[in-house]
Amino acid sequence: MRLITDDSVTASFGLAADECLAARVGVGERRDVACSVPTLRLYTYRSHCALVGRFQNLENEVHRAYCAEHNLSLNRRPTGGGAIIMGNDQLGVALTIPGSDDDSYSRARELMTQFSSGVVHGLQSLGVAASFRRKNDIEVNGRKIVGLGIYRAPKGGLLFHASLLVGVDIPFMLRVLKTPFEKISDKEIDTVADRITTVRREIGREITVDEVRARVAEGYAATFGVSLNGGGFSDDECVAITKLERGKYLTAEWVDQTTAVPDAQGSAKIKTPNGLIDVRLTLAGNTIKAIMIGGDFFAAEGAVADLESTLRWHSADPKAVVATLESVYAKRANDLASLPFDPLTQTIQQAVRRARVAESASRADPYGCFVTPEGAHV
Amino acid sequence: MSTNTNYTFPKDLYYDRATHIWARYDDETVTIGLDALGLESLGDMAYISLQAVGLPVQRGESIGSLEAAKMVGDVIAPVGGVIAARNEDVLRDPSLINRDPYGAGWILQITPSAWDADSHQLAHGTDVTAWVESEIERYRSQGWIE
Repeated sequence: MRLITDDSVTASFGLAADECLAARVGVGERRDVACSVPTLRLYTYRSHCALVGRFQNLENEVHRAYCAEHNLSLNRRPTGGGAIIMGNDQLGVALTIPGSDDDSYSRARELMTQFSSGVVHGLQSLGVAASFRRKNDIEVNGRKIVGLGIYRAPKGGLLFHASLLVGVDIPFMLRVLKTPFEKISDKEIDTVADRITTVRREIGREITVDEVRARVAEGYAATFGVSLNGGGFSDDECVAITKLERGKYLTAEWVDQTTAVPDAQGSAKIKTPNGLIDVRLTLAGNTIKAIMIGGDFFAAEGAVADLESTLRWHSADPKAVVATLESVYAKRANDLASLPFDPLTQTIQQAVRRARVAESASRADPYGCFVTPEGAHV
Repeated sequence: MSTNTNYTFPKDLYYDRATHIWARYDDETVTIGLDALGLESLGDMAYISLQAVGLPVQRGESIGSLEAAKMVGDVIAPVGGVIAARNEDVLRDPSLINRDPYGAGWILQITPSAWDADSHQLAHGTDVTAWVESEIERYRSQGWIE
């Protein structure tokens, strides 16, 4: 497998290169068609850029004025998931391999585990207790350290994306990315620090991105049973990447596209004998996109982050939420003993109802809606 | 109706074996959606976008893309023709696909150009039960479903 390492790339080039390789690897090894070999790319973006998920509305995810003021570039990944910041302290992972005929949809569940194994292995070799969490995270004791996504190109190539936090400036991140918080204070910064972690924090020392990159490369070589051959983009790949970058990733049509699925925020608080429960969430249509469960109750370390993580990108349907919470409580009964189940579910459902009311109100008053939720964007 | 545990596959529909897209033919239009096993594998639908009405498409071509809990991928046309309608309710609330995959969660309609030829590539009628059983067995053996 080819290994490409590059640094300080622009957002548009970084993403165009990943999609281009996925498309070209999908055609297989044919002499009559431009193709690429399976590739592991470990790279960094020029500090800093903000990248939203495939279908997110930029306006809902980033503080554009702040980004413009500080020259942050904005772009849209071909993969799904939430908004992230990338720069010299965040390692990008892009694995491009052919799909297995047309079977990739069936294997979606398995692919994420399989593709993330190299990152998990690399982190574990550094002494970081990282493990894959279903859906799209790699976590350490309930704290997210890597975000994951998979894109299947029309010709069958698969792109696995990961963003690994070697280090991160949380206050800066909160100035760039929108969250359900009303303001940014030490309390909010601490709340986020409880939910995410970095390699440096976990190993308790300075480490360069190069060292982490080397471990991740070794992780893939070991878990995939392949040797990695260092290389660069071929000349015809460079031409194709430039074409895709100009035709897509440098265009407002791609970067600023919107979706018909509306975002809406809601919050609710309930006082219980064990303390206050404070839930803030963002819905994307009927999906819980982001959720923060706070208050002054006591819960074991990582337990609340575990609840939140389970509910992220989860249906907001009340029955589905209750069923999922029941499964978490069944596993972590002691850890969550002071966070009573019924009041928590009631608070979440109240926050969901309020978000829906807010969304309906914004639809009824189009002049009050900053984003027009329409547009063609395949 | 072919039902295996929780997975329902109406027998009047046609199924693309590779993409788990279903198709319903009613003389002039083909309505398409995602079948129960496809949804089980992909998880909760978060977003979907679809090509415009009036666009000619070929069988096997991308007619949109979707983001589910597990991945972003294309919606592949099971038959060729011209896009006749998009389900605007699904565009606004893709979770409809999970809630009612064969009813309100339909995705798109195509006016077919070669239904007879294209439909031969799809599982239908008595083929469906055997195909579904082998798919469920395959999913189970791979650990994709319980």
